[in-house]
Amino acid sequence: MDILSEKTFSLDNLSFFIFLPFRGAVNGCMMNASTDKPYMRKGLKERVKMKKKKITALLTAMAMTAGLLAGCGSSSDSGAAADTTGTGSDAGAEVQESPAAETTEADNSEQAAHTGEADAVTIWYYWETEGHQVALDQVIQDYNASQEQYEVTAKYVPFADFKKQLSIGASADELPDIAILDSPDHASYVEMGIFEDLTGKFDVSNYYDGTVNSCTVDGKLYGVPFGANCLALYYNEDMLNEAGCSVPTTWDELMDTAKALTTDSVTGLALCSVQNEEGTFNFVPWLWSTGATSYEINNDNGVRALTFIQSLVNEGVMSKECINWTQGDVMNQFISGNVAMMENGPWQIPTMQSEAPDLNWKVTLIPKDAEYSSVLGGENYAVINGGNVDGALDFLTYATSEEKVKYLMDKFGYISADKTIAENQFEADSPYQPFVEELNYAMPRGPLAEWPSVSDAISLAFNQVITGTAAPEDAAAEAQATIDGIVK
Amino acid sequence: MGKIKKFFRYDNVGIFFVLPAFLYMLIFVGYPIIRNIILSFQDVNAGNLVRGTKNFVMFNNYLELIGDSVFKTSLFNTLRYTVLCLVFQFVIGFALALFFNRKFAFAKPIRGILLVPWMIPVTVTALMFKLLFATDIGVINFILRSLHLINKNVEWLTTPGTAMFALICANVWIGIPFNMILISTGLTTIPKELYESSSIDGANKVQTFMRITLPLLKPTIESVLILGFIYTFKVYDLVYVMTSGGPVNSTHMLSTYSYKLSFEMFKYSKGSAVANVLLVILLIVGVFYIKATTEEEV
Repeated sequence: MDILSEKTFSLDNLSFFIFLPFRGAVNGCMMNASTDKPYMRKGLKERVKMKKKKITALLTAMAMTAGLLAGCGSSSDSGAAADTTGTGSDAGAEVQESPAAETTEADNSEQAAHTGEADAVTIWYYWETEGHQVALDQVIQDYNASQEQYEVTAKYVPFADFKKQLSIGASADELPDIAILDSPDHASYVEMGIFEDLTGKFDVSNYYDGTVNSCTVDGKLYGVPFGANCLALYYNEDMLNEAGCSVPTTWDELMDTAKALTTDSVTGLALCSVQNEEGTFNFVPWLWSTGATSYEINNDNGVRALTFIQSLVNEGVMSKECINWTQGDVMNQFISGNVAMMENGPWQIPTMQSEAPDLNWKVTLIPKDAEYSSVLGGENYAVINGGNVDGALDFLTYATSEEKVKYLMDKFGYISADKTIAENQFEADSPYQPFVEELNYAMPRGPLAEWPSVSDAISLAFNQVITGTAAPEDAAAEAQATIDGIVK
Repeated sequence: MGKIKKFFRYDNVGIFFVLPAFLYMLIFVGYPIIRNIILSFQDVNAGNLVRGTKNFVMFNNYLELIGDSVFKTSLFNTLRYTVLCLVFQFVIGFALALFFNRKFAFAKPIRGILLVPWMIPVTVTALMFKLLFATDIGVINFILRSLHLINKNVEWLTTPGTAMFALICANVWIGIPFNMILISTGLTTIPKELYESSSIDGANKVQTFMRITLPLLKPTIESVLILGFIYTFKVYDLVYVMTSGGPVNSTHMLSTYSYKLSFEMFKYSKGSAVANVLLVILLIVGVFYIKATTEEEV
């Protein structure tokens, strides 16, 4: 202690603040050193000092070890808390590391919600795009102004934390009333038993089959599709014209075009290849186009899909760095002119139009092997059982009305899940129009409670071939073994 | 009675100061640990997290881990990463500490500035190193190319072996100040008289270092290494941001794999089993730490 305060000064004092949490450690070290002086006799004072040291050391060690348990969530959770856009959400920032401690608090706030003037309805969502948040907020404000019975608030939970927060919330009885979640995860949460059965409460007969299937389990409807999207191929028209290429429609043409477009500073094609659900989302259109399914990969078709993606990398027309690029990163590479073609979704269009208004790009169907194929994405509304179900249903009825759906889809760059709305949603020359066409070929992932594990096997296989750590045949066989262990 | 009286002697007053912290730890650390241990002996997944029975499957989760190649990779990775990080951090930190222990102009301000890596949030450091090690736009490849050390860009973060190297580089950069400052503080406690008398006796630099500096620093070195081990072993954020365990699961650590199992694949019990392996290893090291810091008094 005395050494710190007396001998160090100037900028070095910084250490004092940095090590505040670790003072035990610093003290421990220094006392060791001082008691080690051979010429000192150990008196009473010394012994007291050592007692203290013992306790400090014990506590420090405990704290260090314990830190690992909290460590898993802490860094990303602080982000969740800081980014909260909604206010007054009962399940706010405290749904963090210690689920058990919150149970009573949840009960209290629930009671408070029911005795208040207007019943609270909370929504969790994960859209990070500001435009999306503003649009949702607008609809919520309109709803709150239109009636007095319910008061809706929304809370942003980052995508990376969304599954975790819902799981923790489920076991701690601390959930919102409505969750707007990624459609392939829907079945897992239905399995968990936290969603209300909505069969017969909403008319989804005019919705795209894939969107309805994603929230249907055992013939019962457990959610309402929010909106749909799918992947398609974006291309830089100027680069294509310069290279004298036409728009590719088959894999062979795609390979030739990508080769022609690749220069020292430009790679022909990019697609998000990260090893998680986002990567799987981008891989399955290639897999399905061959006729392979998500559950039958170890056959000629599955191997052909893996081989094609590997050859893109081996030929140098797709960067290996795609395995670290999210879909947002891929879009940034595209608008920076580093990439000539990319696989991406319609939600990028508003950003691309504002960030790169001069870029001359168009959208087309993803080139096919045997048949055109794309993957269905988008979110579903789900109502949590045990919460404010009436309020949630009332809000959803309002939010799924034609007028509100149009407004939301427009602001989001999404396509309505309602076929009638979707078909008249865009002008014929709108960049969104190809996505409406692509939607006819789009299939959902799952629905399957164990989809996350299947998805992991698929994205692992593609990552193996992209990085060259496994041959397509081996990757396919390994993925199949994993999937068989889950599905059969 | 005598015992109680003895207990309240001046020596033990500290226990009452520690009590609030101890209770806090019991509730917020002890309970989750025990809960986590129970969880690892059950079979909890998406299906029975909320309702349904949580079957006890005894050691099944742990047995499954033994056959799980990603688990083996992550255990080996965690050990390799920790040892390599510790070696480099410690050697460089020690060298810098000795250097800044000399009296020269601006020694102290410069030492203060060197603490910056320790102050930056790890996520920021991770993003920075991710850019540094990028294949086409990364500064490191640019420098290596400019020096004609490589002809082709190295794919640092997309090749299994080099991705681990990049992670270690980033963590060494973070860890050097930690080692440096603790050893610096240790150095200031060595009495100057010892150096004076040794120089009168004609000891050279190496002898002074080996016979005076090292032995007197031994307790400090033990603490630094063991604390460093614990910090490094439970790494999560750095790996999560830089590689997320990729490419092809090659940089998974116990912590990231546990997170992935629990919150991405909904295999809560298997995830907690991985966390417990991590806990046991750290507990063993923690015991060594306590032993190392207390044995000096006997």
